[in-house]
Amino acid sequence: MRRRQAVIALGLAATTVMTALTGCSAGVSDGKVHLKMVESLTNPSRTAVLKKLIADFEKKNPKIKVDLISPPTDQADQKIQQMLQSGSGVDALEVRDITAGPWATNGWLYDMSKDLKGWAGWKDLTDNAAKYAKDAKGRTYYIPYGFYGLSLFYRTDLVKEAGFKKPPASWDELLNQASAIQDPGKRQYGYAFRGGTNANSNAVAVIEAYVADRIDRDNGFKLTSGKTIFSAPEALDAMKTYLKLFKKASPPSSVAWGYPEMVEGFSNGSTAFLLQDPEVIATVRQSKSIKESQWTTAPLLAGPSGKAVQPVATAGWGIAKGSKHKAEAVKLVEFLSQGDASTTFTKENSLVPILKGAGEDPFYRTGPWASYVTMTENPDTYLTAVQPRDASWWTEWVQKSDAELQKLLLGKMTPEELLAGWDAYWTKKWKSRT
Amino acid sequence: MSLSTSKEAGRPTRRGARPAPVKTAGPRPRSRKPAFTVRRGLAIAGFMAPAVLFVAVFTYYPMVSGSQMAFRNWNLNDLTDTSWVGIRNFQAIFRDPVFYTVLDNTLIWVVASLVPQLVIGFAIALWLRRRFRFRGLYQALVFFPWAISGFLIGILFRWMFNSEFGVVNDLLSKAGLIDEPVPWLAEPKTAMAAVVIANIWYGVTFFAIMILAALQSIPDELYEAAELDGAGKVRTLFQVTIPYIRATLALTVLLRVIWIFNFPDIIFGMTGGGPSNETHIVTTWMITITQQGDYGKASALGLVVVALLMVFSVFYLMATREKKGARS
Repeated sequence: MRRRQAVIALGLAATTVMTALTGCSAGVSDGKVHLKMVESLTNPSRTAVLKKLIADFEKKNPKIKVDLISPPTDQADQKIQQMLQSGSGVDALEVRDITAGPWATNGWLYDMSKDLKGWAGWKDLTDNAAKYAKDAKGRTYYIPYGFYGLSLFYRTDLVKEAGFKKPPASWDELLNQASAIQDPGKRQYGYAFRGGTNANSNAVAVIEAYVADRIDRDNGFKLTSGKTIFSAPEALDAMKTYLKLFKKASPPSSVAWGYPEMVEGFSNGSTAFLLQDPEVIATVRQSKSIKESQWTTAPLLAGPSGKAVQPVATAGWGIAKGSKHKAEAVKLVEFLSQGDASTTFTKENSLVPILKGAGEDPFYRTGPWASYVTMTENPDTYLTAVQPRDASWWTEWVQKSDAELQKLLLGKMTPEELLAGWDAYWTKKWKSRT
Repeated sequence: MSLSTSKEAGRPTRRGARPAPVKTAGPRPRSRKPAFTVRRGLAIAGFMAPAVLFVAVFTYYPMVSGSQMAFRNWNLNDLTDTSWVGIRNFQAIFRDPVFYTVLDNTLIWVVASLVPQLVIGFAIALWLRRRFRFRGLYQALVFFPWAISGFLIGILFRWMFNSEFGVVNDLLSKAGLIDEPVPWLAEPKTAMAAVVIANIWYGVTFFAIMILAALQSIPDELYEAAELDGAGKVRTLFQVTIPYIRATLALTVLLRVIWIFNFPDIIFGMTGGGPSNETHIVTTWMITITQQGDYGKASALGLVVVALLMVFSVFYLMATREKKGARS
């Protein structure tokens, strides 16, 4: 009896070990090339769209099968890092502008320049998309699938009731209109201020608008003189206006507001203005508190020179250097970056498109999307500047600047101290890199 | 292989303190440990191997690997230079003013969460020990929070404590306790209070479960004897109940201190460590350093946490060690 139990126990232990080992090296033998693709900014509806596009790709390429891996967004980049570090298990992947730099530095991304030399899709890309598809040294680590760009969501009815004929076009006008609408007693606030996670992005947008005439468009944190934008006297004016916007025209608790609170504040009718990416259009459309006729969007706010600077953010599709099926992976990236596949992806995910022809699509010319077309068609007023999001210290910067902005809002720091600190930080970082 | 127990009968036991039991006509005495042989040793080693391998690969290897990162320039944003840097990562931590804010916050977070959790959990356990209708249902309801993810609880409480749209201010306002909304998560002090309240709600359950289990082991005779001796409820609590479950209480408190110390989920979900780092505890700060890719500094902080908890555990266990015969 005892011997029998021992044999069973040993058998079970051996089976467990063997199962674990075979699980590590599972292979597929259906005669097809299996590509493993990982997405980063995962959400269920987006994954569904991606799966549909992959199915179309597989139909056109019957010898290629794509297995999509969709880790939860919060852990996705860390999971992708682990996969890339191990050198196998991933072929195509979503590369964000903030991950491209570090991953390329570590030698984890494949430079597609040679493979894409004669690619027909280049001519259809917008200038911005073509620009972001190459790094400073001309290497292509990813092709953008779309852009995230700011526009001003505003309540048409509240603006009218407050006696204004049109939405604000500059930060000063926003301060004026939002202050007029603010009425805490009625729980009506002017501006959905971003004080929590990623607060730095909106603060930088104000500063960039104020220094628009002198900004280095290849590095939005630099002036053409080579100094940081935070060192400019206009930056101080920008921060003072921004602080007034918080004190006079925003909910006091917005010190802690991140993306969800800002969008909720606008969607439930509590705030009249919101500066956000186009993906919010779909969310606000679902609101039961405000009707579609009560809101729309206006172009990004300008500084005193009448110009605005769009702090573009992007992500795209790239290939792992360790992939054994690079040719097939390039085919997949090309497929997703052109024609119907690209348009479907940008439309369904509310992204600014990468294709020139998309601006003619009625989808982008009407309603809240129209402001994006206005900005694209007026590049001298609405400038674009590359944000240094590929810097290896970008996340550190985000965390530092967010915490310091909260100190500013809580009165524990002055705008002068804040800007001096940011100027010193970037100057030191750039110096250490050279 | 088989050993005759009769040959060894009557020998002193391994402890040697007590004489071997005298053989009676009653049930057969338990067989004693067989002598060690190579074959038996191999069999034991064979059975243990998978478990040892598992623990070595999944526990000790990451631990050692993580520890050595603390002494290297290990930054995920640039792994081209991962050279040894001695104690530079530790110096970076001790020179960072945020570290000291974080230590203060951690102390407040642990003490302010633990004490109410213990007191309320104890009270609930005492209440649930009594027999009453639907006791099972109440037990299930009380234990429910323990089944929810800490991060999710953080998100739920973030909305509940939202100044403009949250239910907390709404209730306080309707009860006439506040005139204008309290910006709970926007002010450092109220933000810390809010995360502690969420943690108390979550952790009470653990104490209730553990203490209830311990209470059920107390023989009814002790309470009957206390009643006969004229002890009131309070005296019975302090002279019968608490002394009897003292060991369980000590262990539960120790476990909870370690867990609360290492529990970033709620804070991360509610405030992300803000405003301006004022609700960061050691582990939430460690996560932000990891997010920056600086695994060297994060590992060094991890070792500091281990050292702090080890020192605490040693002192705590010494302080709460039961003296021989203390209960009798």
